Amino acid sequence: MEKFSEQPLRGDDHHWPDLPQILPLGDCALLVRFGQSLDEAANRAALAFATRMQSDSIDGVSEVVPSLVSVLVRYDPMIIGPVRLAGELGLRLTSGNAPETARVQHVAVRFDGPDLDEVAALLGLSREAFVAAHNRSGLRVLTTGFAPGFVYCGFHDSALNVPRRELVKPRVPAGSVLFAAGQTAITATEVPTGWHVIGHTDFRNFDVDQNPPTRLRAGDQLIFEVVS
Amino acid sequence: MSARIRIERAGPLCTIQDLGRPGLLAHGISASGPMDRSAHDLAGAQVGTADDASVEFTQAGVDVLAEAGEVPVGWAGGAFGVRLNGQPLSWPGRCVLVAGDQLSITPGPAGNYGYLRFDGVLDVPDVLGSKATSTRARIGGLSGRALQAGDVLDFLSGSGRPAAEGPAASNVNGMGPIRFIWGIHAERFDPAVRRTFVEMPFRVTAAMDRMGVRLADEKAVFAGASILSLVSDPIMPGDIQILGDGTPIVLMRDHQPTGGYPRIGTIISADLDRFAQIRPGDSVAFAPVSVDHAHRLLRSRQV
Repeated sequence: MEKFSEQPLRGDDHHWPDLPQILPLGDCALLVRFGQSLDEAANRAALAFATRMQSDSIDGVSEVVPSLVSVLVRYDPMIIGPVRLAGELGLRLTSGNAPETARVQHVAVRFDGPDLDEVAALLGLSREAFVAAHNRSGLRVLTTGFAPGFVYCGFHDSALNVPRRELVKPRVPAGSVLFAAGQTAITATEVPTGWHVIGHTDFRNFDVDQNPPTRLRAGDQLIFEVVS
Repeated sequence: MSARIRIERAGPLCTIQDLGRPGLLAHGISASGPMDRSAHDLAGAQVGTADDASVEFTQAGVDVLAEAGEVPVGWAGGAFGVRLNGQPLSWPGRCVLVAGDQLSITPGPAGNYGYLRFDGVLDVPDVLGSKATSTRARIGGLSGRALQAGDVLDFLSGSGRPAAEGPAASNVNGMGPIRFIWGIHAERFDPAVRRTFVEMPFRVTAAMDRMGVRLADEKAVFAGASILSLVSDPIMPGDIQILGDGTPIVLMRDHQPTGGYPRIGTIISADLDRFAQIRPGDSVAFAPVSVDHAHRLLRSRQV
């Protein structure tokens, strides 16, 4: 049974993305949240804010982490306090969106995943029709999270929405292409997953010998290419 | 003055750590580093340290054999037994290991984590700027894995920081509840749940590792308080998340980079080391403080 506070929530869905929340996350970070649910506008607002933070840095800020609909700002409390920092963040919230040219990345995928036929059947499509629809979607990298180099990419048309699997697979290999909840994800390490495995790629978005260790960044446009 | 030591016995989850690799969360990599940073520092203060690397050991301890050369070593963290060639020494403490010496750390009355620091540069490659082992990302240390019997560690000579003047003592093993700041989803919990969260004790369970510590909610504080459908946000060490079945888990140094379970609070930086040392079976109580208060505690630590 879902229980909510009797007090009003700090956020109000109807005001997003105009009024982001700034919340303390422990004593060394603030979280700036642009929405309560995952949608295109909130994700784009979070990425734009993270980009502004990178180009207009604040003394005492040690890390800026864009996520699906929020941005974590880690700070050194010996250099800047949370009240002043929140004020600085507020200034960067109101300045206009920096025009950004998205990078385009190509990912070659073998659509040979063990769950591909099941997903196509769930959607009432042939395997070929599903792959074509999947690759037409024009996905963006929404964020990196969950595991090193693991990217969430969205959004597919709502007609392609399937729920996650009931059972979690204890491990799928690096380079697995996953599908669920209107998104495609690509694994860069071996991970457990409750998503459908629809394919595999030789592309690895994690290399400890590179700096930065990942090649895809949030906001990148992805083009999936079918290989056999 | 170079040296080589061999691990003769290692308890579970004995790892190489250093100050970690902060700044990579956007790439899906948590910072790692010592579970008890103050104990890691205290072990270093026992002895001059040529780098920030340590051997972090767990309750079962660790046995090492000096194979060649000599290297000063300091130890601290929790309360363990320590013997050099069979002779008991004090905890925390130090000695100089010379070829043939056997240093044995055995279980003691308190704590989950202890540290060995060396006045030599540990000859292990930096991975993304750090020697710290990430048990989650499987990077750092020796091929990203825990130490095991037979592993050999080489130390190169290096000019290090001098040992602390006089006996270095820990100033962080305070008593009382673990203090936290209300979390990013605190207001999603019923006020009655929030109230009982700070009134009732929880029990630390044996389901603990460098990624997280599972608590037993014996008073059923979170029974029926499940909150679903949250969008994932980045995680910080000390976040207290409540699973769908009401189980509280405190996320630690090798935490997952992002998470979608509701977080009722985040343990303050000044208390996270102390929390890491609470043993399975012991009870823990939580007390809310303001961010301001947490910062005052951090500043008082720095003097």
